[in-house]
Amino acid sequence: MNLDPAAVKEGDELPVLHLQPDLGQVIRYCALQWAFPAFFYDAEAAKAQGMPGTLVPGPLKVGLIYRAVDEWLGDAGWVCQVRAAHRRPDLTNRPIDVVGRVARVYDENGSRRADLELAIINEQGEPSVRGFAVVEFARPV
Amino acid sequence: MPEASLLTDEVRALVGLETPMGRVQVTPKAFRRALEVYTGRIPRTAPAAGEPVPGYVLAALDSESDTPAMPSLLPNSLLISNEWQFERPLRMGEELESVYSVVAITERFGGRFGYSIDFRAEVTFKDADGNPVARSGRTMTQYSAAEARDEGDA
Repeated sequence: MNLDPAAVKEGDELPVLHLQPDLGQVIRYCALQWAFPAFFYDAEAAKAQGMPGTLVPGPLKVGLIYRAVDEWLGDAGWVCQVRAAHRRPDLTNRPIDVVGRVARVYDENGSRRADLELAIINEQGEPSVRGFAVVEFARPV
Repeated sequence: MPEASLLTDEVRALVGLETPMGRVQVTPKAFRRALEVYTGRIPRTAPAAGEPVPGYVLAALDSESDTPAMPSLLPNSLLISNEWQFERPLRMGEELESVYSVVAITERFGGRFGYSIDFRAEVTFKDADGNPVARSGRTMTQYSAAEARDEGDA
């Protein structure tokens, strides 16, 4: 379904993005960044540092929030900003939901924009990330 | 908690310093790899030169160079936030200059981590005219685990 920018209003909820980042995704992320802290892929190394298991990297999670916004937006605009404030670690192979709502719709420099409040919710129902995004409703040029 | 602030003049002088990190390019390989990491999809094609690409690609550009290490002022550190900002969508094929800078260093007294110091740094990607196109920022906090307490949601 295509998003109609004219119909977007404060309080609209984004579709929930159900995810379960696994070790493979984390390793691909490490390869993309060419950074390999052992606690991201080695459960014993993670436990040695006091973690219950391998973790989903924080910078990967800002991209998952970006994805939720980008998939909601489709061709109706582009993402200007996305921010993730990390509250709790997320373990690999555990379900998470990316949720969001439209906080504000406004015009800026002749463009229609929206601020979005987002969160990643873990399987205990707790926010592991508080997120924020700004989108512009215009086809990118 | 230390007797005096650990934010010495030498540490404060890091704020605003720019370190050139070299030139990066938005390539089909960067596009494919970033898309696979973040969406699990393996795209069969890449956007044509000059076409917009998803912001995920910033993560591939961000890894092209090693950023300078922050001074280690306290024994433990933790990533507390990440941010991507775009002045416009990235475009396939474009070359950008990347510049690392420390945006802010602040200290906090009390709270979940006890005495802690936040380092906010970013890599700015600039076009050929020197105009910022995108920024990738992160904030790390340094603290002493011995003084921290678990308060759940920070």
